[in-house]
Amino acid sequence: MAKELSADQIQSAAEALVGSVAEKFTGSATAEVRHHTGGRRKNAYVYIDVEAAAWRDLATWLAKSHKVDHCSMITGIHWPEKADATWQVVAHLMRTGVRNPGVVSGRVHEIKVDIDALVGVDVPLEFEISMTLAETREPSVPSVADIWVGADWNEKETWDLVGIEFEGHVGMRRVLLPHDSPTGYHPLQKQHKLRYHDFNEMYDDAQGFGRKPEDVGRVK
Amino acid sequence: MAEMWISMGPQHPMTHGLWTLKVKVDGETVVDTEPDLGYIHRGVEKICEARDFTQITTYCDRLCYASANTWSHAWIYAAEDLLEVEVPERAEYIRMVAVELQRIASHLMWLGAYCPDVGNLTGMVWCLREREMMMDLLQELGGSRMHYNFPRVGGVKRDLPIGFAMRCRAKLKLFLDRIQEYEAILDESTIFLVRTQGVGYAKAEEMINHGVTGPNTRAAGHDYDVRWAHPYSIYDELDWSPAVERPSIKGSDCYDRYRVRVEEMRQSALMVLEGLDKMPGGSETHHESGDPAILGKAPARAAEGKTGFHHFEDSRGESMFYIAGGGEARGKHPYRVSIRSPMFITIPYAAKCMIGYKIADIPAIMGSFDPCIGETDR
Amino acid sequence: MDEGTNYTAFSSRGLLDIVGDLNDKALEASRMKDFISVLGGRFLNWAQRKSLFPLHLGIKCCALEMAAAGASRFDAERFGVVFRSSPRQCDVLLVNGPISKKFADPIVRLWEQMPEPKWCIAMGECAISGGPYFQSYNILEGVDTVIPVDVYIPGCPPRPEALIDGFSKLREKIIRIGAVPSGESEARGAPIIVADD
Repeated sequence: MAKELSADQIQSAAEALVGSVAEKFTGSATAEVRHHTGGRRKNAYVYIDVEAAAWRDLATWLAKSHKVDHCSMITGIHWPEKADATWQVVAHLMRTGVRNPGVVSGRVHEIKVDIDALVGVDVPLEFEISMTLAETREPSVPSVADIWVGADWNEKETWDLVGIEFEGHVGMRRVLLPHDSPTGYHPLQKQHKLRYHDFNEMYDDAQGFGRKPEDVGRVK
Repeated sequence: MAEMWISMGPQHPMTHGLWTLKVKVDGETVVDTEPDLGYIHRGVEKICEARDFTQITTYCDRLCYASANTWSHAWIYAAEDLLEVEVPERAEYIRMVAVELQRIASHLMWLGAYCPDVGNLTGMVWCLREREMMMDLLQELGGSRMHYNFPRVGGVKRDLPIGFAMRCRAKLKLFLDRIQEYEAILDESTIFLVRTQGVGYAKAEEMINHGVTGPNTRAAGHDYDVRWAHPYSIYDELDWSPAVERPSIKGSDCYDRYRVRVEEMRQSALMVLEGLDKMPGGSETHHESGDPAILGKAPARAAEGKTGFHHFEDSRGESMFYIAGGGEARGKHPYRVSIRSPMFITIPYAAKCMIGYKIADIPAIMGSFDPCIGETDR
Repeated sequence: MDEGTNYTAFSSRGLLDIVGDLNDKALEASRMKDFISVLGGRFLNWAQRKSLFPLHLGIKCCALEMAAAGASRFDAERFGVVFRSSPRQCDVLLVNGPISKKFADPIVRLWEQMPEPKWCIAMGECAISGGPYFQSYNILEGVDTVIPVDVYIPGCPPRPEALIDGFSKLREKIIRIGAVPSGESEARGAPIIVADD
C-alpha cells in the first residue's frame, strides 16, 4: 500500500476539476492547475479566480457535486495601491474525503483509506479561490457559512481584522478585538500603522553591513 | 428551574488558556454556550508585515507555545513555497525528527493538563516528567526549552548534535515503556472511564464541515491526515499509518480522542527512531551550520505578485499559512501573512459539543479537544 | 469613659473596645508592646514569605514554564509556592504573558480582588515590556502600565530555575519591605530584576 497520495493522482484530479469549472462557470470564474513551488513535492492544486457575485454558486457547486467538504481559511487582503482590486478575499478549501465510519452488523468499523484506490472525486485536493473587489468604502462578498460551518468564524475574523463584510452571515461580531472596539476600526487595513512603525527603518541594518553589491538602488 | 449564564474565565484553572466560555445552564445541564476569545490577540499577522522571513519564524514558535516546532515548520514550508526553494533531504529528515518530537511533547502537555481536569493529579506529574525528557532532546536540537527557532528557509539552522541520536534513542525507548504506565493508570481507572466515555459525542462528517481536523477527526473513525493526503515531507519513506480510533455509533467521545493522542505519541516515537536510522549521511555525522547538506540556498525576496501557502499537520489539526508576497517594493517583508489556526475553528465546535451534558462534563469535553489559545488568538 | 454613653446595655463592640484599650495601655506601660509587635511582625513576615501563593493564571508561553516549575523536576511547592485558583486566596500575581487591551480590565480586577499584602511578579518579556509584540496594536507595553510590579524575570520564556530565583528575590524583598501596601510604590522600593547582578 502506498504511503501517500501520488503526484499523478493529485494532478489528474486537479485537471478534471479545472475542466468542469471551465464548462460550468464560463465568464464568471477561471480555473487553472497550479503547483506548489517549494520543497520536495510540487503538488498540484486548483486555483480559481471568481467574481464575488458568483462565489456562492461556485461554493455550492463545489460542496455538493465535488465533495469539497472542508473550508480551511478565508483571508482578506487590503491592496490600497490597486484601485481595481483593492479588496481581495482568498478562500482556501480542501477536499478531504472524511466521512462517517460505516456500521456493519451493529459494529462501527473505522475507515483506513486505501490510498492507491482513490480516484476521481475521492482524491484529496487543495483549492485556492480568489475574488477581488474594486475600491469601495464597504467591501462585501457573499457568505458561505451555511455551506461550510467552518467558514463562520473565519468570516468573523476577516471582518473583524480587515473590514470585509459577508452578506448573509448570521451573528457577525468582534471575535479577536475587544467588543468595544470603535466601529470601522479594522487594524489589518494598510492605513493603520504599527506602533513604532519606523523602528525598522531606523534600526534595521542602519549602517548597511548586510548589503551586497546587487542591492544598490533597493530600498530594503 | 431558572436558566442563567455562567462565565468561566478568563482566569479559570480548567480552560487551558485565556478565554471565556459563557455557559447557559438549566440546573446542572448545559443549554447553550458562547466562547469569547481574543484575550491574547497579539496582532501577529500585522507584525509579520514588518519582519523578514527568518524573523517571522520566531513569532510562529510563539503561536502555539505547547507545540512550537510544528508551527515554525508550517511557516517555513509556506515561505519555501513562496520563495521557490529546494530543501536537501537530510534537512527534511532533521525537520521530521524535530516536528515529531514536538508532537510527542505537545500531546504530553495535553495529557498532563487533561488528567487533572478529570481528577487524576498523578497523570499530570508523570506527563510533565516525560515532557521534560522531550524538552531536553529538543533543547539539544534547537537551543532552548521552548521556542527553538529551528528551521530556516531552505533547511535547518543546525545539524543533529554529536551524541544526539544515542540519547534520543535511549530516551524514546524509555518513553515507549512509560506510555504503558499512562495506560495503566487511565485505561483501567473507573473514574477516568466514567468521566470520558459517553461524553462529548462528535461525528466525523459534522466535524469536517465545521472545520475540525486532526486527531479529533481521526478519533471519529476516518484516518485523514495531511501528511499522506497533501504530502510535503519524507513521510512516505517511513513506515507509519495515522492513528485512528473506532468510535461508537453515536460518534466519537472524549475517550476516543484521548486514545488517538496516546497512539499518536507512540507513532511519533517510532517515526523518530526510524528517521534516525534512515537519515541520509547517518545520524552520527555532524555538519556545520550553513553546510549545504542541511541548508539549501534561498532568496531573500519573493518574486513580484507571488503567493505561497502550505497545509500542515499540526498537533491539533490542519494548520495553514498563506503568504502574499509584496514584490520589490516591500523587499524582504511579506505583504500579508494569513495564519489558519485549527483551534480557532475547533473551540466553537467543542463549545457546541457540550450542549446537553452537565457542568461537570465541561472540562472533560473541552480538554479532550486540546485547546491552545496561543494559536487561536494569534 | 465618654460622658453620655450608655454602658448599661451589653455590647460586645463596646466590650472589645474597653478590653483592647486596657490591654494596649498595659502592654505599653510594661514595655511589652514593642517586644510583641516585633516578634509578631517577624513571625508574620516569615510565614508570608515562606508560603507565597500565586494565582493559577496562565496567559501565554511562560505559563508552561510556570507549570514546569510546579512539576516534579523543579518542584516549586518545596518553596511553599502553591497555586490557588481564586484571587482571594493568593499573595502573588504572577503575570506570565502579554496583556491585551481586552485583558487589561480583568487583570486589574484580579489584582484588586487579591487581599493585602500582595506582590506582583512580571515573568517573561511580554509582561515586562510587551516583548516581541511591542509594536502590536492590541498589547500593552508591559503589565507595569496597569499594575505595580515588584520583581521582573526576563526571558522568553525564562527557565523554571529563573522563576524560582524570582521567588527567592521576592522573598528577600519581603524581608526588607514587610507588608507595605501595594499602592505605596516608594515605600516598596525599586523593583528587582532577576539576574541583574
